[in-house]
Amino acid sequence: MNAMQGILDFWAAYRSTLAFAIVNSFLALSTYAVLSAGILSFATVTYAAFGGFLGARLVLATGFDPMLTLPAAALAGAVLSYLVALIFLRLESHWMALASLALILITRVIVINIPVVTGGVNGMSVPLPVSLELLAVLIALAALVFWRLSVSWYGIAAQSVREDTAVASSLGIAPRKIQTIAFVISGAVGGLGGMLLAGALQFISPDTYFVNIAFTMIAGVVLGGSYHWTGVIIGAAVFTALPVIAQAIIPEFQDVANGIVLLLIMIFLPRGLVDPLSIRLRKNFQIPVARAIEDPSISKPGVVK
Amino acid sequence: MDLFFEQLINGVALGSLYALFGLGFGIVFATLGILNAAQGTYASWAAIVALAAADQYKLPFIPALLTGVVAAGVIALLVDQVAFQPLRRRGKDMLGALITSIACWIILDSLAGTATGHNSLSFPRGTYPSTMYHLGTIPLPVMQIITIAAMVAVTVGLHVLIRHSRFGAAMRAVGWDQTAASLGGVNPRYVVIITAFIAGSTSGLAGVLGGITTHNVSFMLGEGLMLKGFAAVVVGGYDDVRGTALAGVALGVLEVMTSQYLSSGLRDGITYALLLGFLLLRPRGLFGSLTYSRA
Repeated sequence: MNAMQGILDFWAAYRSTLAFAIVNSFLALSTYAVLSAGILSFATVTYAAFGGFLGARLVLATGFDPMLTLPAAALAGAVLSYLVALIFLRLESHWMALASLALILITRVIVINIPVVTGGVNGMSVPLPVSLELLAVLIALAALVFWRLSVSWYGIAAQSVREDTAVASSLGIAPRKIQTIAFVISGAVGGLGGMLLAGALQFISPDTYFVNIAFTMIAGVVLGGSYHWTGVIIGAAVFTALPVIAQAIIPEFQDVANGIVLLLIMIFLPRGLVDPLSIRLRKNFQIPVARAIEDPSISKPGVVK
Repeated sequence: MDLFFEQLINGVALGSLYALFGLGFGIVFATLGILNAAQGTYASWAAIVALAAADQYKLPFIPALLTGVVAAGVIALLVDQVAFQPLRRRGKDMLGALITSIACWIILDSLAGTATGHNSLSFPRGTYPSTMYHLGTIPLPVMQIITIAAMVAVTVGLHVLIRHSRFGAAMRAVGWDQTAASLGGVNPRYVVIITAFIAGSTSGLAGVLGGITTHNVSFMLGEGLMLKGFAAVVVGGYDDVRGTALAGVALGVLEVMTSQYLSSGLRDGITYALLLGFLLLRPRGLFGSLTYSRA
């Protein structure tokens, strides 16, 4: 009986953490969508702001069911990201990362200067509760989409563009096209994530969608593993839970603890928690070892790749 | 007309802070290839240390200033060796270094918040020169003159160091390719350490001067400088210190003039629009050199 109560208490206390973990997973997946095509872009924050403010305003102005505005937020993000891709894809990788940072800074200025839509500096409250069940369903759907994408023609093409653009284009893959698709996926997921974030926070302001969220996001992606979509979700979850745990253990220095954990992970696990390469290496390694035991004449492990 | 000139001087002084900060930020990006998110905290910490030195240990202005500047350099050096060196050994990876710099940013920012008790402190009167000169009818605070002079001196110094000295040649070589540089007889580790120190102390100088002139010593100080310094680096071209200095001053003047004659709401907007415009139309900046890289 006591244990049951304990579980219920735990559930009540960490329900919101779980909700935020899922919301952050969406934002991290959005960043991963472009990263998996070899682009480091922080523009997810801008899509999220667009989706979030637009969706929230739509609900407030029209009284539509929030369920109807979720697709609208995703669509808004996708359209915006297509426009961003048209301009940004002309830039080299370093400059693209910098330009997307600049885009976040400008987003905040725009948000502040159109108070009719966004509430300006004061922000706006968003009375649309997003239930945990809905979030769970949505993230399951997103996971399904990313899984299918990763094994599709597009997923393989994106991976080759990421590894080596020149080789990819010599194989008949159009890098620009693949990267544009990556941007649009990122925009749709980001817009949706922005709207969900608005729902989870119940209040959004210009500071909601700013540089810190971009950094949290990219940290989540790299922490979990930027080479597989499951890693991204795990990374976002860990990075959401970390501050909560640190808060419980050492409230004084919770941010410092976060930073140190992030630092240690990057130094000792540079490819993240989930790393398809090391999993594959381990698999490849085991087969020859097993054969070597049966047949002592084979002593070298097989070619590892 | 007096108002215009007064604001012009204000703008140049503010821009000098952006330029000074941007110089440090740009050197890290050009030589070490790192987009360092922690750079802003060096400025905050420099101001905090200098304030402690001036207020609690009663050091005169110049020694207090130098204490802050050296402290920022040492912090930058430590961050480099703890957070970037392990990644550097494994080969260059901009993404990894960005993440570890974010980690350091979080750590140093929150420690800075603790150090100042989450308040905005300011240098007490008397700890810094506050003489007021007059140029005709235009008031000219001595701190503004010091700021502008420091910016000019540091820019010239860095330009000579990077373009006309053996060490500068080594810095540029390491920035281009560490392996090739070490084949050419340069010790990259040594160059990296010195570069990190120079970059940290330059940004730190901006932090101390900014902390005095804006009467704001807190973790917010570094963040403000960071965003504008970043803009100055991109607009000026990150591999040329003259470009960064000029762009920083221009941004400062533009900001002050915008809020004086247009609207203060547009102040940041114009800076960032210029930043994005440059990134899209002329990514190498005003003075940046063309670079070619193999696919």
